Amino acid sequence: MANALGMYRTVKRLGIPDSNIILMLADDVACNTRNKFAGSVYAKAGRHMDLYGENIEVDYRGYEVTVENFIRLLTGRVDPSVPRSKRLLTDDRSNIFVYMTGHGGNEFLKFQDNEEISAFDIADAFEQMWQKKRYNEIFFMIDTCQANTMYSQFYSPNILATGSSEIEENSYSHENDNDIGVSVIDSYTHFVLEFMEGINKTSQVSMQDLFSSYDPVAIRSHAGVRSDLFQRPLDKALITDFFGGVTQAEVFPPAQEDIQTTLSVAEEMQEPETSQHVPGPQVDDYSTLEYHVPGNAPPNATYTLLSGKESEARDTQWKEVRKWTSVLLIASLVTWVSFAR
Amino acid sequence: MDHPAPTTANHGLKEPQKLCFETARTRRLVLGSYWTIIILAFPFWWNLTSIERIALPSYRVRAQLDRKPVFPVNVQLDASSFQGSAPTFGRALHEILAQTTQASPTWRDLDIQVGVSEHAGDQSEGPNVYSVVLGNHTAVRHPRQLVVSQEDALSALRLGSILSRLLAPEITSMQAQRIAQYTKRYRLAFTLLNENAASPHLVNSWDIQAAFAGKFSRFIYHMFPIISRLNLLHNFTIESQVQYHAPLAFEPLQFVVANNTLHGLTPEDLTVFINSAEWTLSSSVSNDPVLHFVLFVPSPALQPLHILDAHGLPTSQNAFLLPQWGGIFILNRHARAETMTHLTAADLVPVFSAFANQLSALLGVPPLPDGVKSEESSLLSDWQLDALLRYRTSENILGSQQTLYSIIKLVDQIENMPVDQTVRGDVHDALTALGEAHRSAVGSPATALQWSSEALSLASHAFFNPGMLALLYFPAEHKYAVYTPLFASVSVPLIVALGREVYGWRRERRVVRSG
Repeated sequence: MANALGMYRTVKRLGIPDSNIILMLADDVACNTRNKFAGSVYAKAGRHMDLYGENIEVDYRGYEVTVENFIRLLTGRVDPSVPRSKRLLTDDRSNIFVYMTGHGGNEFLKFQDNEEISAFDIADAFEQMWQKKRYNEIFFMIDTCQANTMYSQFYSPNILATGSSEIEENSYSHENDNDIGVSVIDSYTHFVLEFMEGINKTSQVSMQDLFSSYDPVAIRSHAGVRSDLFQRPLDKALITDFFGGVTQAEVFPPAQEDIQTTLSVAEEMQEPETSQHVPGPQVDDYSTLEYHVPGNAPPNATYTLLSGKESEARDTQWKEVRKWTSVLLIASLVTWVSFAR
Repeated sequence: MDHPAPTTANHGLKEPQKLCFETARTRRLVLGSYWTIIILAFPFWWNLTSIERIALPSYRVRAQLDRKPVFPVNVQLDASSFQGSAPTFGRALHEILAQTTQASPTWRDLDIQVGVSEHAGDQSEGPNVYSVVLGNHTAVRHPRQLVVSQEDALSALRLGSILSRLLAPEITSMQAQRIAQYTKRYRLAFTLLNENAASPHLVNSWDIQAAFAGKFSRFIYHMFPIISRLNLLHNFTIESQVQYHAPLAFEPLQFVVANNTLHGLTPEDLTVFINSAEWTLSSSVSNDPVLHFVLFVPSPALQPLHILDAHGLPTSQNAFLLPQWGGIFILNRHARAETMTHLTAADLVPVFSAFANQLSALLGVPPLPDGVKSEESSLLSDWQLDALLRYRTSENILGSQQTLYSIIKLVDQIENMPVDQTVRGDVHDALTALGEAHRSAVGSPATALQWSSEALSLASHAFFNPGMLALLYFPAEHKYAVYTPLFASVSVPLIVALGREVYGWRRERRVVRSG
């Protein structure tokens, strides 16, 4: 969860209003009775900053976070009764940031422990968005095990994707909070957020700078980037194109006769209202997804997420042991049966 | 035949073939009923698991793609004004106008004819007829009349450029960026924001209704006339509110000019002026897009607050616009009575004339060309309104064509996307509305706009039909993984039993025949 919440905080800090952020949290860790710090989610064991804090708007929570709702949200095929805050109201001038985190595998991401979204589903959803002109550009970020497989199936233009780890590679948690006994944030997200801390609403840092900051040793996995669908050079694509609500402002004369001096303030094309970031869903342990539309919000995923990851390495060994034990067992049964006659 | 009885006696067991439920007949009945159920259920299973995909009128959609609306425009030169030179002048104008419309991607569908008419000033002509008469100064006059001054009328080139900017105003990328997406309904949210209510500068009420209606009609740039004219295109819902605490998210620049401390907003500050995290500027009761208009009263510590230009010098402007979002007006109170807590309609005149101007920019109203004035008090001339109607109509028509085409393409491309009757109905209706829009473009641009917006909303409705959600991707190996454990274990005994039964039956028959 802290993954998604950290991302939510960052996007909001950079000026994206809650109305443009769709946050999907599959689990309510902040208010879970096992959370000693009720109503708070911290990303660091030192607990300096409460990510949940005041002023948070979770748009989809708990069992509303399903693969179907996520796809409906992206494609806009929602029920007419769905309120504005739960819709992705973007157009062909909108930039969308999708951030997802949770437990994943080769070309899938688990939601709610009982279903999963595949890379094909997301790729198709993005294509439908492209056809309906629901975005100008998408920045897709995912932090799961084998995350880079999730963006391998994309085929729509203007998508920039990045993930935390290669195929057959786990993505590990960064920190444990021993007081609540769970890991609180993933390594990749931690370093991305760290990088984002240095960015303000008007900074000119580019995507290339972000990607160059990836350090496989520190992150403990090989973060990947896919830019073949993206039409702009990465060093021309600013971080604030996706993370910030930077608009162009025009000083507009009140009366028609005035000279039309227009100042274009920022080069970014985003408009505050329309530009969106959809950060994506994050899955917690309990598959939290979050996704922000213009901004993004994070879920509480950290909690379970982390705990899941740690056990993953042990899991693989255990699987091996189980496999060989069962082979032995079957072999001995077969032998016994054949000799018993 | 002697043996069976002792065997039974010995084991205390019955011969299996003698059991009543083990007779061949019962066994075959049991087996047969299983197979009957399977065979009868098969069509149901097939029907329930297949995806309903009704054929869409893809041929009509493809045919529709190449159609462009044609807007006939008839410019009539007043014969009495232009005397004998009118026909040659008209031909020259026609050429110039045809060239400019061909060169502009937006206005290629404009079909401009230039004619000469005896009573061009009569104003009784149809909606697509524009007249040009001579007058003292160049101005537009109601309805659809252009008065040109002597010197503007001297050269066909000059008049041609005025006419082309009126009929086919060029839309720069800057303007295109600014114009809000067309929708049938807009909400206009007016907010009076006090940065800090605990100050003597508090403004706690404003006479927005009077200001809105433009009671001071000598000020022509007012909201009401614009909105009432734009009603042809959009339905407006208006809401207003007063807020008492609206902190800025940044610290404005402070500088001293001639012993006065001023505060300034740099161009970068303007982009991040709206503190979206803490200001609630509109209610979220409906899904209609909102255009925001904010009247910002800075706290005394920040007054006066100026907008700076790129060189850091204060400008005289106090309003700015955020593309597609709305407009902001900064109200410095130093010049007025500082304790006044109510803004009257007269106080609001400059504010609302700025808002009115911003609104027309946001909605894409083309400005009048330089040197052309409007004779009426209404801010919007028929020339501008017609140009806007044509622009929005072709935009909507293009939008609906593309949406319909993408539905067809996606349905072809994604094989498990369901298509039901409502989608087909919407697509048909959208095609019909598109046809109507093309047809009525020849007559009245306003009707064409109605049809085109109808077509666009139907096409989007079809695209966003909740039933069209493609089933989740389900690879073939997953199907085997699900079906094999379920069906293999059931089908093996059924098939083996069937085989044995058939084999047994044939052997019996052979025995009967041979015996």
